[in-house]
Amino acid sequence: MSDKTILNVEDNEFNRKIVRQLLAKTTYRLREAVDGEAGMASARESPPDLILMDIQLPKISGLEATRQLRSDPRTAAVPIIVITSFALSGDEQKARDAGATAYLAKPYSPRELLAKIREIVPEA
Amino acid sequence: MRLEHTDPLAAFLLRSPLGALVRGVAHLRASVRSKLLGAFLLVTLMFLLMGAFSVQTIRRMSQHTDALDAAHQRVAWSYQLQHSLAMQMHLTGMALLVRDEATLANILRENNRFNDTLARIEQAAPDAERQIIQKIRTGQEEAMTVVADIANLVRDGRVDAALSLQLTREDPLYKTIDEQVGLIVEKENERMVAQRASVEAANRRSLLAMGTLGLASILLALTGGFVISWAFIVPVQRAHAFLSDVAAGHFGGTVRVPNRDEFGALAARLNETSRELARLDAEQKQAAESLRSLNLKLEQASRAKSAFLANMSHELRTPMNAILGFTEMILDELYGEMPPDIKEPLTDIQVNGKHLLRLINDVLDLSKIEAGRMELVLSEYSIRDVVETVRASLRSLATEKGLDFVTEVGDDLPEAHGDSKRITQCLLNLAGNALKFTRRGRVTLGVERQADTLRYRVADTGMGISPEHVEAIFAEFQQVDATTTREFVGTGLGLSITKKFVELHGGRIWVESELGRGSTFYFTIPIHVGSESKA
Repeated sequence: MSDKTILNVEDNEFNRKIVRQLLAKTTYRLREAVDGEAGMASARESPPDLILMDIQLPKISGLEATRQLRSDPRTAAVPIIVITSFALSGDEQKARDAGATAYLAKPYSPRELLAKIREIVPEA
Repeated sequence: MRLEHTDPLAAFLLRSPLGALVRGVAHLRASVRSKLLGAFLLVTLMFLLMGAFSVQTIRRMSQHTDALDAAHQRVAWSYQLQHSLAMQMHLTGMALLVRDEATLANILRENNRFNDTLARIEQAAPDAERQIIQKIRTGQEEAMTVVADIANLVRDGRVDAALSLQLTREDPLYKTIDEQVGLIVEKENERMVAQRASVEAANRRSLLAMGTLGLASILLALTGGFVISWAFIVPVQRAHAFLSDVAAGHFGGTVRVPNRDEFGALAARLNETSRELARLDAEQKQAAESLRSLNLKLEQASRAKSAFLANMSHELRTPMNAILGFTEMILDELYGEMPPDIKEPLTDIQVNGKHLLRLINDVLDLSKIEAGRMELVLSEYSIRDVVETVRASLRSLATEKGLDFVTEVGDDLPEAHGDSKRITQCLLNLAGNALKFTRRGRVTLGVERQADTLRYRVADTGMGISPEHVEAIFAEFQQVDATTTREFVGTGLGLSITKKFVELHGGRIWVESELGRGSTFYFTIPIHVGSESKA
């Protein structure tokens, strides 16, 4: 039994549902947050093994949240996959500059997302 | 030469009344040529005057010399008179001793010479002298009568009587005459001295007058030169200073000159030019200002457009993510085994969803290009990898349609630098279209190196494009005709986007086609694309 925890920060209910159902058959445990502030609070309270971070979030943007988590010693080492629905060039670079471990553009294939998660945090 | 610099002496003189004269000459309504001619004539006239005066002086001096000579002559005559008188007295005395006719005759001859000399002196003698001369003549006549008596007495042998006559009559007479002659000598000497003094004074005066006149001529020439040259230098200096201002970008100033000649006309023309320049400058500044504000508005509009694009992208992709995500998870049987009759419609949803996503991406790409927000992501890439990606993506479509899909990649291709994702996208568009519009035969995707350029080639054995359509084929929303649209679904954006990406890379795209025999699309991309490319 794995106790690897994944924190999904995403404001859209349907997209949260995809991840929820995608991970349902796996051993990963899922936590959710609906905005950048809540996501940061959750990550600081109990650092997860991986964070899925949407870029366009209410209150604090995903990029800003990523930057702040990276500068916080409690969460600095947590891998973050930044997910963007912007298609403007330079987004990936911005995500990397903010400290993202990986970058994924919407619409993503759930299969690919799962593969990427497994690549970064293998199931026990 | 530094025109703006006036030497201190000239500056001082220009502030003196001479400056007023300079301005006066400048102010004269006459041409520069006339003014110059006038100045030269004035100086020439002055020197002519001086020449005339010199000639006059020389003539006067010559007259003085003549007069002095004459005075000398008269002094000489008066001495001769004295001498002649002494000779008569001497000869008379001698006649008493030697008692011969020759001596008597000599007395007469001496008397004649005396009278001649007296007559010469009398000419041009002043009245006072004439009276003396008259007395001398009367005395001489009387003396000659006495001499005649003495001569007769001597001839008669009455020497005593003659001696007595000589002592009592002649001697006193001669003495009187001698006194008178002495007066004449004195007067003539005085006259000569007076004459000499007068000549010397006259010469001194002439010399002074000549010097004064010469000095005046030189002063006049200098003044004339100064006035006439500064009447022209002043406007030139002002024009120069004015033009320096203009050259430094200060328009609208005026140049003021007192001249009413060609320089005045020039200054007036310069002022007109200045006004015109100032007007143009103001217009240009206004235009620049309005351009600036327009530019600002355009920038704002561009930013708004970019923000809109970002939002649209987000808003469209978020639901697409859910649609495609759930579909994939159902097809992947994440929710359990799927009834076989559901698989086909679900696959249809997925295919159409992906197609919709491509359309969305195309529209967004084109909008970004139009907004000038499309930027290439440049990096090293392998040409072979790009071609392989395209082949792998389209292999199934080619197989499905029963077409040969061939790639021809040269062995000599180096590592390239550019936006490999966009180049892949271009090839996918072209090869995708080729497969779409070809019913049988083959589609060939080739790339070869031409110096510093790569030439990609997508050839098909499809329906071909008529010459009249070739022109428009790269424009947005264009397909060959309406009927093709029905048979082969597409937006018509692919070629337009491909063209723009190729051009962003600094390349060129074109097509060679023959109806019924197929088309070949070519595009070139520099092997190394610099980072300055931007839409």
